[in-house]
Amino acid sequence: MAPIIEIKNLVKRYGKLTAVNDMSLQVEAGAIFGFVGPNGAGKTTTMRILTTLMAPTSGEAHVAGHSVIKDPRSVRKAIGYMPDFFGVYDDMTVWEYLDFFGACYEIPEAQRQPINRDLLELVDLSHRKDDRVEGLSRGMKQRLALARTLAHDPQVLILDEPASGLDPRARIEIRELLVELARMGKTIFFSTHILADVAEICTHVGIVEAGRLVAMGKLEEMQRMLMPHRRIHVNLLGKGEEATAALMAIEGVTNVQNEGPEEEAAATGHHRLVVEYNGSDTEVSAILAKLISLGIPVFHFSEDVRDMEEVFMRATQGIVS
Amino acid sequence: MTILQPKYSRSLRERLSANPIVLKELRGRMRGNRAYLVITAYVGLMGLFALLLYLGYTASLTTSVYDSNSQIVGKVVFGGVVGVELFMVCFIAPAFTAGAISGERERQTYELLRTTLMPARSLVLGKLTSALSFIVLLLFIALPVQSLAFLFGGVALEEVLIALVILLTTALASGASGIFFSALMRRTLGASVVTYAFALVVVVGVPVVALLALAFTGPYLGSSFYGGYYSPTAAEIMIQLLLMVGMWALICLNPLAAGFITEIMLISGEHNAFTMTTTIASGQSITLLGPWIPYTLICLFFSLITILLSIQLVRRKEST
Repeated sequence: MAPIIEIKNLVKRYGKLTAVNDMSLQVEAGAIFGFVGPNGAGKTTTMRILTTLMAPTSGEAHVAGHSVIKDPRSVRKAIGYMPDFFGVYDDMTVWEYLDFFGACYEIPEAQRQPINRDLLELVDLSHRKDDRVEGLSRGMKQRLALARTLAHDPQVLILDEPASGLDPRARIEIRELLVELARMGKTIFFSTHILADVAEICTHVGIVEAGRLVAMGKLEEMQRMLMPHRRIHVNLLGKGEEATAALMAIEGVTNVQNEGPEEEAAATGHHRLVVEYNGSDTEVSAILAKLISLGIPVFHFSEDVRDMEEVFMRATQGIVS
Repeated sequence: MTILQPKYSRSLRERLSANPIVLKELRGRMRGNRAYLVITAYVGLMGLFALLLYLGYTASLTTSVYDSNSQIVGKVVFGGVVGVELFMVCFIAPAFTAGAISGERERQTYELLRTTLMPARSLVLGKLTSALSFIVLLLFIALPVQSLAFLFGGVALEEVLIALVILLTTALASGASGIFFSALMRRTLGASVVTYAFALVVVVGVPVVALLALAFTGPYLGSSFYGGYYSPTAAEIMIQLLLMVGMWALICLNPLAAGFITEIMLISGEHNAFTMTTTIASGQSITLLGPWIPYTLICLFFSLITILLSIQLVRRKEST
């Protein structure tokens, strides 16, 4: 499938500072692409170039087949942009706010009415349509901003930190909305440093650091690539040393650590071990069988769900100066 | 399939509401009680001012108002009201426009607008149109106060029309200057300061310069300096001509001076509204355009340039 966002050798310099350094990436249509990186890594700059607000120093970017440099108007038609701040006009109701931006997207007055109604329903703000925008909660404002980006039915949504500063409930609501929008066929390109969001909803991830893309791919691929070890948690009623020795003897086990507190082991005899292992599912099952066969009292055996934070730490470590 | 819209048959209302900025600004400006309070206070103050002019002037008269003096009362009331309106236009129009672009930046809505399909032209013209429409509204609602002058007579239609032309072009130019500085500067505060400084220079600075120039060169302009017995050399005539034209040019830069001199032209009766003939020391007479004509043209030209520059400034991408 042809990529809907394509960035090629993009460079942006501010004087001596290089914000974006030879970045190339592609996003497939329909993907939820998480653009992850520490603050100041060049995420916002990249997004501002994609949204035609800023001209790159060199390189090229295409959105939906249109060049951001040569054909900014077609790019604007294809994208909905939500920056990391919320622009408010005083004295404007929720309805007027949407209607105004609809008009800015050259949607005829007659069509704006039903579109605004649908959008408010989508983001669950129909009951607040006559309220002032500045009176909304942060989460509601964020949902309204999302509705605004959808007014002209764009193919691509470019969202800068859509979940920042939101309480947990509002964050989850936004997350669900993004999944819903992806189901409707939109490509979502969003930056974040909340890795839980990425793990939860993204299909693809790009990790950026110091203006460079350090890793990119499907979420599972990235996890496999960056974290080849499987981690297995084994909890025992006793026989901790015996189990450790047995596990270390198994081929493929690289490390066994006791993660439970010493006092717990002394008081109850319980041991909590973490096993790092390279191998297939069958081999993991064989480890359990071996422990049982040795008469080691296992009461918990589970594989770690590798979280994004570790993927992120592994991808970015060493580059941070 | 595209639906062809009959572009040229659109009404003014449709044209205005086709620009989202105009629609939004007008909605916001006329919302609630504020607009009505502002308008009521404005008409009240204008009425009070006209009343004070009337009372002040008639109190200084020894004879009855209802003789030949009534025409002068009419002119005083008319001139006073127009003068106040001119000041208002010079100093209120910038207040509406100096925050037009920089305010969008400060509210962080500028970038949102720039990523929509709305062209830079619509943003600039929309802001200017909505600001001017409020100014025009203020001018129109002051018409009854202005018309009090007709009760006394002495005010001709051409005076009213010329006053209107000067007011409207001044509003356009001062509004456009506000937009320009607003697009140029990052902050509304900076834009307001520069816009007002500019307005002060034009409205107050130019007459001060003109008066100073008159104080120094005045003696050389009048024929009395040379008496009747001295005939000046060609060079002296040349200098006199240059001084006269220079003075005239200064007058053409200032709305109050242009309006005032035009009014004097009309009162004195010997000139029409379009040209004025004046005599220099050597006895030669020169004919100059009525100052309101070049003033109006300068305003229009200035507005055009500042609007085009503002559009360029808004269109410009962030480079650093």
